[in-house]
Amino acid sequence: MPDQPHAIIIGAGFTGCATAHDLTLRGFKVTVLERGEIASGTSGRTHGLLHSGARYCVSEAEAGIECIDENIFLRKIAKQCIEFNGGLFVALNEADVAYAPRFIEGAHACHIPVEELTGKAALRLEPNLNPKVLLAYLVPDGVFDPLRLALAFAASAKQRGAQFWPYHQVKGLVIDGQKQVRGVRVWDRTSGKEFEVRGDMLVNATGVWAGEIAAMGNTSVPLKQTPGVMVAFDQRATQRVINRLNEPGDGDIIIPQRRMAVIGTTSFEATDVDYIPVLKEQVRQMNTEAFELLPILRQAHMRGAYMSARPLIDSSEEGRSLSRTFKCYDHQEISGLGGFVTITGGKATTCRGMAEKTADLVCQKLGVRAECQTRDVVLSSYRDYYQN
Amino acid sequence: MNVEKWKVTFVVSRQKNQEPRLYQSFQLEIDPDEYVLDGVERIWAFHDRSLTYRHACHHSTCGACGMLVNGVEKLTCITSIRSVTHNGGTLKVEPLRNFAVVSDLVVDMSNFYTHLEAAQFGQVASLAQAALPHDADTRSVTDGEFERLVDCIECGLCVSACPSALTSETYYGPAVLAAAQQAFNQSKNSALIHFADQHDGAWGCHSAYECSAVCPSNVDPAWRIMDLRKKTLAYRIKQLFRK
Amino acid sequence: MSNHPTPSNFWRWFDPRNRQIGYWAFILNRITALGLTLYLLLHLIALSQLSQGAAAFNSFIAMAKNPVFKVGELLVIAAGVIHGLNGIRIALTSFGIGTRYQKQSFLALMAVALLILFWFGQIMFFGE
Repeated sequence: MPDQPHAIIIGAGFTGCATAHDLTLRGFKVTVLERGEIASGTSGRTHGLLHSGARYCVSEAEAGIECIDENIFLRKIAKQCIEFNGGLFVALNEADVAYAPRFIEGAHACHIPVEELTGKAALRLEPNLNPKVLLAYLVPDGVFDPLRLALAFAASAKQRGAQFWPYHQVKGLVIDGQKQVRGVRVWDRTSGKEFEVRGDMLVNATGVWAGEIAAMGNTSVPLKQTPGVMVAFDQRATQRVINRLNEPGDGDIIIPQRRMAVIGTTSFEATDVDYIPVLKEQVRQMNTEAFELLPILRQAHMRGAYMSARPLIDSSEEGRSLSRTFKCYDHQEISGLGGFVTITGGKATTCRGMAEKTADLVCQKLGVRAECQTRDVVLSSYRDYYQN
Repeated sequence: MNVEKWKVTFVVSRQKNQEPRLYQSFQLEIDPDEYVLDGVERIWAFHDRSLTYRHACHHSTCGACGMLVNGVEKLTCITSIRSVTHNGGTLKVEPLRNFAVVSDLVVDMSNFYTHLEAAQFGQVASLAQAALPHDADTRSVTDGEFERLVDCIECGLCVSACPSALTSETYYGPAVLAAAQQAFNQSKNSALIHFADQHDGAWGCHSAYECSAVCPSNVDPAWRIMDLRKKTLAYRIKQLFRK
Repeated sequence: MSNHPTPSNFWRWFDPRNRQIGYWAFILNRITALGLTLYLLLHLIALSQLSQGAAAFNSFIAMAKNPVFKVGELLVIAAGVIHGLNGIRIALTSFGIGTRYQKQSFLALMAVALLILFWFGQIMFFGE
């Protein structure tokens, strides 16, 4: 065991960057390999919702609690790129109102602060809401800039010596005779050269591509690749995040970000997520739902539309009922392959927590005693990532 | 479901290892309502995996995907193919000007970010501070203090279009000066006046106004630079009388 | 063509392709400045004919009545008027006065420049 253990992280999305931040705080040498640019995969495309957890408090309490805890941590450590104006869960019809008791119960169980408002009160707060709003709940939702949150974690890790190599694609794993992963084979896309990088632990933080990397070592993770569409409109119709008060469905979140309103999302399965075209029919269906919440968006100009593929942990069910929580996988346990862990699933809001669990597992496997410090360490300025 | 498809020739700038620039053509059959960035992504995904480019959010908040499209600075995630070419036409994609090329469409913006940091520019501000005084677009119609991510997404399109940035490596550039103006409005820190009051600062601008013309995000850097000059002058005059 | 900033890129200042009105004003200001500088040089050379004596100077003045010269002189007036009026626009907008209307003010001032040019033109070519 060398003085300074070296962790190689594949993937520079939220998970990879946050794990680099955590491990460097625990004294690790860290190398992050990313085939694209920071947050150029799923992470960059998040609509930026800093979840209060209320969306999951009824059906998935675990995810709900994770979200509210991490919401509070991120507001402390990543203030630089968060607009925090709260959010509303809005009831438009009797079916929505019937969901309210479960919602309140779930929120309390997950210690998510909610405040009940009449329809009229909600309209006073957000005049562009559908005037037939019957009931609403104020929650501590926020909005973050996707790229800058990842950059902030990366910048912090870089300050403590982490090396980030964007445009470097992992082509294969280097495995020794004792079924231990020793490193990776890398293709530098800026020069065409291929070479090896060796380390003490390989962390697969490639999110929705985790299965592809695992397959390089003849191992696997139970993952469903689940794309969904998002649409950005040219109007900041509300100051707060607007959610539909009901079970999670399509087009039931509208997020204000800069001068836009971003609507999300849908959910379907795919097998190749390197490039997914926007399905216009999905956009139409999703917009129909969203326009119910904010009718003013019907007149707004569509600024952009894109697909984002989420990794959902497969508990053998379809689409939405897949778990929105995250999981660390030790490939020693799965297929006897040492020196290799995978972290996948989860949501952007829980990236710090995901990194903590991953770093805990890495430390445990390497016999390193080091506590997690990321709850308290305020992140460096995201621009510092670009310092050479 | 019939989706309209256009035949478009993407002509993409390729450059590796400090070698001279080459243009590579790719024939794509593509829905014209897709964005230029979608075209670039398709080329990477289905034609040439060695193509390097920057992108993250795909909805004009991160500023990563700025490129030259047919010679004009554009944020490629919100620039539809329909708006820049026609069926059977070409679409030229090149990296932004005035930054050294790292690889293909990726440029080195580290100096840019260092200066933005020196301008003490924060990404989150109150609604009033975030927008221009003559632009009421995002003011809240209700009571309450709200904050939002500001307009400038640090994409660098303005620097690419600026003739002063074309010939001077040390000129701060429109984004940095606009950032200093916004930061000064919020903090009234006189250090920012000193920052701007340089040959390479606000006085390096020569009124081409192309920065504001290409800005995809309502920043109006030209207006902000002139406003910063006004404030610098006012400060200097006040200093004279204090003596 | 290097992609990073360098003084040797200066000739690309004069490329108006894909640029908007403010940039055209920028280019015009520079071209008229160069033109006026060139004119100054020529004017000094012409005046130096005086040192050659009355005959040399008179033959130069006779040549100057050539219509081609008059066109040249009109161009000088054009350069002066354009540069001067645009210069006023730049001086004002440079300190935040009328910056939001820089496009409109440029067009308006160029219209004025054109009117002035026509006025001088008709005097020079068609008498008082």
